[in-house]
Amino acid sequence: MIKIEGLRKSFGALEVLKGIDLTVNKGEVLCMIGGSGSGKSTLLMCINALEGIDFGRVEVNGIDVHAPGTDKNKLRQKIGIVFQQFNAFPHLTAWENVALAPRRVLGQSKAESRELAEYHLAHVGLGDKLDHFPSQLSGGQQQRLAIARALAMKPDYMLLDEVTSALDPELVGEVLDTLRLLAEEGITMIAVTHEIPFAREVSDRVAFFHEGVIHEIGAAKDLIENPQLPRTQKFLSKIL
Amino acid sequence: MNSFSMTFTVNDFYLMLQGAAITFLLTIASGFFGSLLGFLIGWGRALGYTWLYYLLSIYIEVIRSVPLLIQFVLYNSFLAIAGLPIDPFVSGLITLSVYISAYVAEVVTAGIVGVPLTMIKAARGLGMSYLQSFRFVVVPIGARSVLPSWTGLMLGLMKDTSLIAVLGASPPELLRSSQIIITRIQEPLAILIGAGAFYFIMCYVINMAVQRYEKSWTSRRKVTA
Repeated sequence: MIKIEGLRKSFGALEVLKGIDLTVNKGEVLCMIGGSGSGKSTLLMCINALEGIDFGRVEVNGIDVHAPGTDKNKLRQKIGIVFQQFNAFPHLTAWENVALAPRRVLGQSKAESRELAEYHLAHVGLGDKLDHFPSQLSGGQQQRLAIARALAMKPDYMLLDEVTSALDPELVGEVLDTLRLLAEEGITMIAVTHEIPFAREVSDRVAFFHEGVIHEIGAAKDLIENPQLPRTQKFLSKIL
Repeated sequence: MNSFSMTFTVNDFYLMLQGAAITFLLTIASGFFGSLLGFLIGWGRALGYTWLYYLLSIYIEVIRSVPLLIQFVLYNSFLAIAGLPIDPFVSGLITLSVYISAYVAEVVTAGIVGVPLTMIKAARGLGMSYLQSFRFVVVPIGARSVLPSWTGLMLGLMKDTSLIAVLGASPPELLRSSQIIITRIQEPLAILIGAGAFYFIMCYVINMAVQRYEKSWTSRRKVTA
């Protein structure tokens, strides 16, 4: 379970998160929507401590993420993250990309990590691209590689930060298909997305962010089809 | 045969060959130690501590600003005054290593900060520690981008080794040994062309070695393309 209480975060004078309270249960899929600069991506980074926080508390599996004594490296093994920029390591082949962390962080042997990489790459439909370098893959393939790389650490949670935003329109579908697959498998996901139909289809709940707070949150179908607050209505009418 | 010959002899050739070997060894040794030191300094500057950045920048700027010739003499005299009369080769090796480390440091810093922050976040997001992400992601990516600049420094270093002559290091390195022969046989043009050829061959060898290493990174790509 991820539990966020009273989270505040500023970059200099700019307060990006102005008090976030949110609980995400195991197996749940939560999509975060909202205009740019509304704090969605920052919140994701605060969950796995890639960003520090100013006030409040973030708990993952009962562990206070931002407490001074917390082993953040260990915690991050359990929280996979995929970014808008694919961030495939350019000097490594597809399988080496996936195998790197299991090998160096979990101490797996080369053979073990290779087997693991083959499994996860096949899982996202890249079973025939094991020895390809990122430069030889399309954007969609690179993003699926990034998803496989995160999954290879067997995370309890997946954080997805606008994973389709940098893709050509015709490549968005293949990445969303991969995410659908994960949702069906019951992986807990928090996704920042602009793909409203996708959010409606796969997520249990949708949260609408506006100016650093969760403006409205509810069951996916309700919030998207029948938003209660005017700002949410305005945002959805613009984007749909 | 006269013991004092006015023409180019086999011994002259051996003297130049020996000089070339000394030049080569000086380059490799100071290149190694200088790169090691430069790596640490460049890394230190990229750590993100302002005070450390400025401290190391002073080191770099001072060493890059003072002519190498002056540094040779200063280090050597300093060691002698400090009561450590030291072999000119050792003092020269120290001078060259320190000198090139400042340039290497600049290149290393550029290589490290050139790796996109999101790439590092992706590595840390997988649970890698700072050192793991540095060792397995930042260094390999940065090294590939700055390898050509580093090679250029090493080739420049080879030519700079000739300045060790001011310390009277014996046996002489390539340029000094050429000058000795020129003084005797008065054929500067031919000898200097010969010395130039030696330098060219050695630079070529280093260049080839680096390129081969570079290919080992990229050729894997071609095989699978």
